Amino acid sequence: MSAPIGRVVATELKPATPHQFHFWTATETSIGIGAIVKVEGRATGDEGRVVYGVVSEGFAYSDLATPLHDVVGSEGDPTRAADAPTVRQQIRYWTAAVLRQTPEEPLQPVPLGQVYVADDADVAQALRMDTFLHSATPTAIPVGLYTSAGRAAPVYLDADFLLGPEAAHLNISGVSGLATKTSAVEFLLASIFAHFPAHKGRVAALCFNVKGPDLCFLDQPGDLSDEDRHRYERLGVPSTPFQQVRFYAPLKADGVNLNTLRTHPDLIGDVEPLTWGLQEVVDYAEVLLNRDDIDAKADAFIDFLRDRVLGRTFDDGFGGTHRVQTFADLDRLFRSIFDGLEITAGGRSDTWRTHHIATMRKVRNRLLNISTRCKGLVTDDGPSNDLPWKEFEDRTVYVVDIANVDPLGQDLVFARVVSKLREQLERRELGVDAVVVFVDELNKYAPGDGPETYVKKMLLDISERGRYLGLVLFGAEQFRSQVHRRVVGNAGTQLFGRMDMDELATPGYQVLTPATKSKLATLPIGELMVRHPHFTQPIFVRFPKPPVLRGRDGVERFPPAADVPFDDAVVRQLVRLDRRIRPNQVKDLIADRPQEDVRRALAAARRTRPDDVLAYFRRALGARVAPEAPVAREHHAVPPLNPISDEPY
Amino acid sequence: MTWWQALIDAGAIPAAYVPSASAGGAAGADAESGERADLVEDAEVQAHPIPQRAAARIPPAVSFLNGIERWSVRAYDGMVPVVDAYVAAAVRRRDERGILHTILERSRSFAVAPAERMTAHLRAVLEQAAPDIESIDGELVGQPARYLEKVESTVRRARAHLERDLAEASSDALGPEEWLVLDGLLSRSPAVARHPRTLGVIKSHGAQFLEGRGLERALTLPAGHRTSVFAVRGGHTRTEVYSWYLRLWPWEGNDLLYGLLRIEARAHAQTIASASGLSGWLWAERAPLATPATRWDRLLYPLHHVEAYLTSRAPRDLGMRRASRLPRTGT
Repeated sequence: MSAPIGRVVATELKPATPHQFHFWTATETSIGIGAIVKVEGRATGDEGRVVYGVVSEGFAYSDLATPLHDVVGSEGDPTRAADAPTVRQQIRYWTAAVLRQTPEEPLQPVPLGQVYVADDADVAQALRMDTFLHSATPTAIPVGLYTSAGRAAPVYLDADFLLGPEAAHLNISGVSGLATKTSAVEFLLASIFAHFPAHKGRVAALCFNVKGPDLCFLDQPGDLSDEDRHRYERLGVPSTPFQQVRFYAPLKADGVNLNTLRTHPDLIGDVEPLTWGLQEVVDYAEVLLNRDDIDAKADAFIDFLRDRVLGRTFDDGFGGTHRVQTFADLDRLFRSIFDGLEITAGGRSDTWRTHHIATMRKVRNRLLNISTRCKGLVTDDGPSNDLPWKEFEDRTVYVVDIANVDPLGQDLVFARVVSKLREQLERRELGVDAVVVFVDELNKYAPGDGPETYVKKMLLDISERGRYLGLVLFGAEQFRSQVHRRVVGNAGTQLFGRMDMDELATPGYQVLTPATKSKLATLPIGELMVRHPHFTQPIFVRFPKPPVLRGRDGVERFPPAADVPFDDAVVRQLVRLDRRIRPNQVKDLIADRPQEDVRRALAAARRTRPDDVLAYFRRALGARVAPEAPVAREHHAVPPLNPISDEPY
Repeated sequence: MTWWQALIDAGAIPAAYVPSASAGGAAGADAESGERADLVEDAEVQAHPIPQRAAARIPPAVSFLNGIERWSVRAYDGMVPVVDAYVAAAVRRRDERGILHTILERSRSFAVAPAERMTAHLRAVLEQAAPDIESIDGELVGQPARYLEKVESTVRRARAHLERDLAEASSDALGPEEWLVLDGLLSRSPAVARHPRTLGVIKSHGAQFLEGRGLERALTLPAGHRTSVFAVRGGHTRTEVYSWYLRLWPWEGNDLLYGLLRIEARAHAQTIASASGLSGWLWAERAPLATPATRWDRLLYPLHHVEAYLTSRAPRDLGMRRASRLPRTGT
């Protein structure tokens, strides 16, 4: 055992209790705030008792009775203050919060014994990691290195409490601009992939890239220092970028260029377009309706469309038969209904199948509007290109880049992706047993105040019920105090990077000592404070820089390519499917063809992935026909046939 | 079980009397028995300015010696008080960073009792239970106040003996550039008094060695001045030493003895030559202030520090006065 570094002291005013104690050390000591120490009960009448604590506060003072005495002793001259031949007796006095006592019963005040710096085994004991680190089925996930007091002991999280089912979810807070939040999640995902216990099955991660190029280069190696590599080695996590990453990004409004910053020619081949049609969108129509829109009538009409119309052969009652599969089909149906009400019914009725025409117009406008606002993500016409539902792969990161998508579209992507994950995890059909969903900017998506949006409700639902399904939320935000308290409250594991002092002054941080808050406010990059169900006190850890290329560095090393003309973009996408295709073949084929037709054919080829891509594309494009004079398209906002009465039915 | 508990169990009456002087350093610890002083510098007592702090040469290594005493009446055998006493002394050496480290330390716990005045039974119990007994003359038992004064002087003598032993051991081991500063009379030990690098710092002035104009000059010495050096013969060993007064803090507005120290050094011509330099060094020792000690104006911080060190290691129940001496209710 190493030499003691301090001794517990207790006075009537500051006694030792079962949860806190005070000790002193030499002036020169390696410990500081966050250091883990061990107190031995030996020779104090409490043989066998060992107490582990984490330093939560520090004090230094001398035997100076009043500051005035120092002034007198220096004759009022501060430059003389250091001339005193004898150094005043001073003390380094520390307060520590108890992490664990052995034996745990009876729970007694901390013995007034000698204090030691905790070694690796002590850290494991203190943080109760022994129970999941050395069990028959270990569930330990390294989160970083405890580096106080000159030590570097690995700290582990319990997978049962990080990824379910006991507890789940992780929340990370910290000021923006230090890359700590994103880096910590990237490292932790690498750690989870390396250490997720075999008996718990398969795991994947789905990350929404909501700002800039943050998560666009997870498959590219970053620069690591020797110190970082040593830390990876110590933690047993490979210092290599993610081996399996699938990137998804919507198309831009032109329908062929990808709406992402990962468009460098060397990388764009790995990016799958994410496009959805009516079928994919209508189930989440609620997301598209604003607060004023949500009423029972609109809901009923959407349900009607969903149950009776979409994907079925449907008689509109005015002699027309429809099979609605796309937004264009839906628009045709609406036009047919409105025409029918005006022409067939002679404008005498303003209801159709119990639905008032105003309700139908509102729903029509909202649904068709999404294809305009989110053009590229939502296709007016044509097939969709989606995430590989039911085929999620083990230890794979799925990145959905929605950084440049309209906020409404972001909500739609988020709602649909998470709902599909939940649905498939419930049915055990996803292909993996657990999915970590990383959402940054929770301040935006799950604010503590503001309207009850569909996305917020969904985040609450994951937070409260996801752990039973294996749907785990890793959320990040700048201001934890402003995120919905049930979202942060349900996070079993909480990480804190450098925090803003104003944020630390909010009530949620009252449990922290002033010293801990000061440390949090000045925390260096790469250091975190961790709260985890097994840890009775917050612990500071240091994690290595993620082994992947940071977004900012990524766009420097792989500058995004400029948007290419329509025909070049089509060529590029087809060549990605079949490298034998020559650009001129494609350009000749699509010359003078309507872009809508080309997009549709391209999407069909992308979805089908035939052996002979060019032949398939040619067939899908159809025979060249003479261009027709464009049919005057009616405005989406169809004027009402009759003045709207108060009675919608 | 402690010896006094054994005594009480055997029939002695429990007691708790802590003399006021025992609660801290004894006020009369430096009581001197001075006789005469012969000026060895100047024709009459002069006030010499001492070098400013910046010019003072502080030895690189200095050891400081101090001691404490604690005693308390623990039990009565009839009207005979049986006293529990503790004395301790330590030498702490100041390193180049200005931090003090203990290099020598000694303590003694003992009982003080007039064995011949005790009942045979309790005397036997005491002799069996107490490992160290200091016998005291029992003549004054009938006069409790005077008896306690006798006890106090016995304990003080034990402390002085301890300090002298430590001073001799410490001065023997002094390095070539190292000095020893002790709290009290240098002249208790001939060996220490003759050492070229030892100083005694006397804070109480129970005896005056000067008279007339010389005494007035000494007692009205301005701050930052010393008197002329004079030779004194004092202490039990009657070893001659050279001495001078030194004023650390202005006395105006306080009293004549405020901030006044008497320094003792070996009786040697070199002492006269270096008196101002040594005074400059001690003047520099004013900082840091020896607060919260009440005698901080005359107590050098390192000596205060040694006392604080010894106090922290002394038995806690000795010197702890009860808050109230009201009869206990038994509830």
